[in-house]
Amino acid sequence: MKKTLGQILWAGIAILGAYSLAGIALNRGEKVSSMWLVVASTCIYLIGFRFYAKFIAAKVMMLNDKRATPAERLRNGHDFEPTNKWILFGHHFAAIAGPGPLVGPTLAAQFGYLPGTLWIIVGAVLGGAVQDFVILFSSMRRDGKSLGQMAREEIGRLGGITALLTVLLIMIILLAVVALVVVNALKGSPWGLFTIAATMPIAVFMGLYLRYWRPGKVLEISIIGFVLVMLSIFAGEWVAKSATLAPWFTLSGIALALAVIIYGFFASALPVWLLLAPRDYLSTFVKLGVVLLLGVGILFVRPDMQLPAFTRFVDGDGPIFAGKIFPFCFITIACGAVSGFHSLISSGTTPKMVAKEWHVWPVGYGSMLLESFVAIMAMIAACVLQPGVYFAVNSPAGIVGATPEAAAATITSWGFPVTAAQMASLAGDVGEESLFYRTGGAPSLALGMAHIFASSGGGRALLGFWYHFAIMFEALFILTVIDAGTRVGRFMLQDLLGNIHKKLGETSWMPGVIGSSALIVVAWGYFLVQGVRDPLGGINSLWPLFGIANQLLAAIALCVATTILLKMHGAKFMWITCTPLAWLVTVTYTAAWQKIFSPVPRIGFLAQADQLQGALDAGKIAAARIAETQTIIFNNRLDALVCGVFLVLVTAILVDSALLWAGILRGTREAGVREAPFVVSRLRPEEL
Amino acid sequence: MKQARALWRILAGLLKELSDESAYERHLKAHGALHSAEEWRRYCEHRLKAKYSRARCC
Repeated sequence: MKKTLGQILWAGIAILGAYSLAGIALNRGEKVSSMWLVVASTCIYLIGFRFYAKFIAAKVMMLNDKRATPAERLRNGHDFEPTNKWILFGHHFAAIAGPGPLVGPTLAAQFGYLPGTLWIIVGAVLGGAVQDFVILFSSMRRDGKSLGQMAREEIGRLGGITALLTVLLIMIILLAVVALVVVNALKGSPWGLFTIAATMPIAVFMGLYLRYWRPGKVLEISIIGFVLVMLSIFAGEWVAKSATLAPWFTLSGIALALAVIIYGFFASALPVWLLLAPRDYLSTFVKLGVVLLLGVGILFVRPDMQLPAFTRFVDGDGPIFAGKIFPFCFITIACGAVSGFHSLISSGTTPKMVAKEWHVWPVGYGSMLLESFVAIMAMIAACVLQPGVYFAVNSPAGIVGATPEAAAATITSWGFPVTAAQMASLAGDVGEESLFYRTGGAPSLALGMAHIFASSGGGRALLGFWYHFAIMFEALFILTVIDAGTRVGRFMLQDLLGNIHKKLGETSWMPGVIGSSALIVVAWGYFLVQGVRDPLGGINSLWPLFGIANQLLAAIALCVATTILLKMHGAKFMWITCTPLAWLVTVTYTAAWQKIFSPVPRIGFLAQADQLQGALDAGKIAAARIAETQTIIFNNRLDALVCGVFLVLVTAILVDSALLWAGILRGTREAGVREAPFVVSRLRPEEL
Repeated sequence: MKQARALWRILAGLLKELSDESAYERHLKAHGALHSAEEWRRYCEHRLKAKYSRARCC
């Protein structure tokens, strides 16, 4: 009876999911309620979790709760600690959820809501969650080894070095692109900049409070810090209206970029307890709170999607970034569908805290589904804006025209009506000077979130507060990624430099710390300044580069995962990881090839460089702009080179893996599974 | 009521885990130490060094 009821329930979920998905996929002309996206994605996640992931857990991984995990065997009270599965789920989710699943869908909405939504759902269920799940499982069975260590041991030495170099390069591009998102959100915005600037003394106060006044009281000071940040949002409005103070907090893109670069350097070199750790605590709690708030807001308001299922920009001529749906939709949304970075978390802290083997099912697979749902919410927040407003905020001046009137006319001519007066009124409502040319995704996401929050209560009067609350949330979150990422990049660089000169590898030797911090900051800072100066808004060149890099890291993780499955079962279950791997290789190689060699200047780096070089040689560039044009030409060639390096690195690991797989299948290479030995678990449920 | 209490326990546990307070309690237990400003600082040195030497997600 219970079994029959269960079957009826799952059949009902499947039918409801299929019906909702058909509804959003086939509907044309009428506005679709965002609830259909929520219902479709939730049903598919449930089916994927219950059937596909459980099949992998039971038949492929053969999870066994009687087998002691490293958390139990190596328990040390520090890294290795058996943890309640729901607490670990929250911990893992907080670690994998970065700004990517929020920004990527917002940018990909230029194709309409449908392509991105389908990719987020399908990509997560069949690709991203599978990658996280298999890597978490593999690391857990190998005493919590990192992706790099597993690549070296399972594939070979080349795999390990390639993984390390790729991660370092990706980190540099990631930091540049997220810094660009913050710069574009805060330039010319005294309210936003004041609020974010205020988080720095607040974080230092929190650090001192924890260190000297109330050691160990992290939750207590986090609540105080949150109250202070909320007060700074109210104070920000007053600053923006002050004739004396507003100019101090109204900075150009370049000035802000320099400020972020200097901040990154100090955050990397200063003691962690003073700035980085307190900011991270604050950011984590705000992040979880806002995700929850957004979910409740969407369920409460149930807004209609204003953007159509498909826009005219599926032809590749989009104003936000150039390129067709295939491959560009699939690299624009990385986090939320498939993110290589997750494999670093799944082989970091989490495998050392898994109490029972079956817990990797909800923790590894389930938390990626939740992140995918966050991406769906971001897609909804972007698509509830009027299309004209969405494109006015996200399009660079170089595409739509340098004045509000010209921009509004261009966007209206695309079939998305908007007026300069309408945009000015909206900017007034949110306390901004202008909302045109605010590329990067953060401002339009903040507008969408503010719209949802304000519709839940408070109405138009609170739109400004909610907009700046959302901007504060995004910027706080991104700055935490920047300071922590710069620090990690510094450690990686010191790790590499230590091979040349031992002293350079010491993380406590001040000249080494300062030098390596400066090198990392200069590396991502260069790309950041390049993005700020780019007449096409920077996002057009940097976001695809980041997407390609992130997906290539996923390809490395899936190579490791495939190798492990092959060693466990022969070719029988290779398709589980080979299918997403084949898709990612196809997408990223196509995207990388087009970004380097496409003859369309807005897509191909080399074509754009050649076009500008041609104009320069023909004397068509004004004397005042010659130096700037030469820099843009150099930057385009540099971007092409970086893209090429990514391809070479990943091709190396792919070839290395394919040779190993062929050898294992032919029986000429060793196929031994390198798992930690089986030890019977003695952990009792009440210990968790 | 029982379920609400269980939910609250998980939520409180998650907040303590995310704030590193649980890890600090484990540290005190593992070292047989009592809470003090000095002990907290020693714990922080170790915990934060490990925490911020790992790659962060995007």
